[in-house]
Amino acid sequence: MPSGVIPGKYFVQGDEAIAEGAIAAGCRFFAGYPITPSSETSETMARRLPEVGGVCLQMEDELASIHAVGAASVGGLKALTISSGPGISLKLEGLGWGIKNEIPYVVADVQRAGPSNGVATRVGQGDFYTIRYGSAGGNHSIIALSPKSTQEAFDLTIDCFNLSEIFRCPVFLLTDETVGHTRELLVIPEEDELKVVKRFKPTVPPEKFVMYPLDTPGVINYPFPNIGEGYGICVSPYTHNSKGYASTAQDIQEKMARRLVLKVTENLDKLVRVESQKMEDAEFAVIAYGGNARPAVAAVDMAREQGMKVGFFRPIIVWPFPDAEVLKVAEKVKNILVCELNIDGQLSREVARASKGKAEVFHFGSGGVEPHLPAQISNEIRRLYK
Amino acid sequence: MSTVGETSNVLHPLVEKYLRKERMPHMACSGCGIGQVVHSVLLAIDELGLTPKDTVWVQGVGCSSRITYSTWVGDNVDAHHGRMFAVATGLKMARPDMNFICFTGDGDCGAIGGNHFIHACRRNLDVTAILFNNGIYGMTGGQVAPTSPVGAVTTTTPYGNIEDPFDMCQMAVAAGASYVARWRVTDFKALTNSLKKGIQTKGLAFIEVLLQCPTNFGRYVLKTSNPQDVLKWIKDHSVSQKEAEKLSKEELAGKYLIGEFVHRPERTGIVERYQEFLKTYQKY
Repeated sequence: MPSGVIPGKYFVQGDEAIAEGAIAAGCRFFAGYPITPSSETSETMARRLPEVGGVCLQMEDELASIHAVGAASVGGLKALTISSGPGISLKLEGLGWGIKNEIPYVVADVQRAGPSNGVATRVGQGDFYTIRYGSAGGNHSIIALSPKSTQEAFDLTIDCFNLSEIFRCPVFLLTDETVGHTRELLVIPEEDELKVVKRFKPTVPPEKFVMYPLDTPGVINYPFPNIGEGYGICVSPYTHNSKGYASTAQDIQEKMARRLVLKVTENLDKLVRVESQKMEDAEFAVIAYGGNARPAVAAVDMAREQGMKVGFFRPIIVWPFPDAEVLKVAEKVKNILVCELNIDGQLSREVARASKGKAEVFHFGSGGVEPHLPAQISNEIRRLYK
Repeated sequence: MSTVGETSNVLHPLVEKYLRKERMPHMACSGCGIGQVVHSVLLAIDELGLTPKDTVWVQGVGCSSRITYSTWVGDNVDAHHGRMFAVATGLKMARPDMNFICFTGDGDCGAIGGNHFIHACRRNLDVTAILFNNGIYGMTGGQVAPTSPVGAVTTTTPYGNIEDPFDMCQMAVAAGASYVARWRVTDFKALTNSLKKGIQTKGLAFIEVLLQCPTNFGRYVLKTSNPQDVLKWIKDHSVSQKEAEKLSKEELAGKYLIGEFVHRPERTGIVERYQEFLKTYQKY
């Protein structure tokens, strides 16, 4: 398969970087539905995928696009879909099918201000819990990475594709309008500098292959045979036994549910991705993710200039939440200020949980439209710094 | 020889050849027509020489799908309720070299998946779709369907259905499918031949089968549990296109037209067009 990677320096938006990252990761199928602020990814894929022999479809709705993406992956193509708030609500219907059947693919969510249609063209960070818990029925883990820049949008998209193959599950790129629409430097490296994980293939004949390893729930790097490879695979929406046949037995439901959770929770060491700045002597920490990490870093610098010992921490992987790393932060500082673009408090709730009372956690939220300004955050730091 | 009430261990040769024995007996109710349609499908597959290696069975959710899924000895892909055509689109575009035999029901295709259905017809996706139309929601216990006749008493229309039913075949014709036909489950030979023709036609082949659901359509709409009564109702409410020419508009009201509505093999679809398009735009 041609790589189609175009090494060089580009001045592009985060949304375009997602498309280039996907192509570099070997993605050869995209299906989407137009929605601001994610459409630039669809438009880039429509131009670039045919060049590399891939398939790009604009479907009739969000449901069709996520189901077509899951199916194309079952057909053997690495696949991507993208959306934002209202579209993500619809895509969650199809997500369960991907989760339950352990289908590798990537969903990017370019968050905008909500709820409902909200403000289509402006930033928000309200989907943090939506992507984690939105697929009804529970009994599953979710992996989600969140970039803060155009470069990271490219790098983490490749990472998402790799993790989707390693863990055999849909993986989210949780980005936002700030990152999606920020036009800045993207460096696409030479092809041989990229780490791309290929789909794992069975090494045993069909009669010996176990499609769903329910008895070894923590196993990763597990093969996914596609249709047409002679393995007679069974994919369905129902609770399945190891062959994929529907079952109503309690022990099968238990095993399948444990598989879908434990394959992630038993391999947390392979999923740590966090950023720390100025934490060595910090007595106060600021935590933010995605595009809102940018003003947070600037605010920490401003506070340092004013003589306050403030550090910065960012979960790059937002699901599974990096509990252990957040606890280390909480053990080090007295107060944690969590800056995020929602009023209800989402990231801050997880930080409070993971901190286990070792530090006092404050939520600094905004309903979105604009990201936080560095001065707003530094004023809040000054108010709380003791 | 088995007697009534016993399960026979003897499988039909087509079942032996193409279906997973560990998935038999299937879960259809007694007297259900789905088994008869599957018989036609297997015969068409056998006569055309399709194999488990080059053919995938795709389903949605409902009786049509729950009874047939994970039974084909090759690959089986069963979608969420209504999403069969969306899933078939992803599969076929990823593997244009393979054959996709798709099973759907009147609720799956006509209600929750209606949008995917008309767009698959518009794209003229090169798959064969078989609509099992029993006029009711069977799996969930006899609720009204978008194909239920006016006046039908069901568990969710206790005072009778006041809505007009969809004519799924006319929708498929209007939306652009290459091949569209409707048969009664009793038209065994015509149905089998039509399936063969549909599989061989490039573009979307949409074949609707009117079949008996004694358990729910019989029980609630016709007040009978006898499959023969439901089959008789289907016979009395259907007419061939040729016979229809002699009937007045009033005589045709509430009747299903039977036969082939369109066969336009010259109409290209998304699969072919995409492959052509790649010849121009593929650079790497």
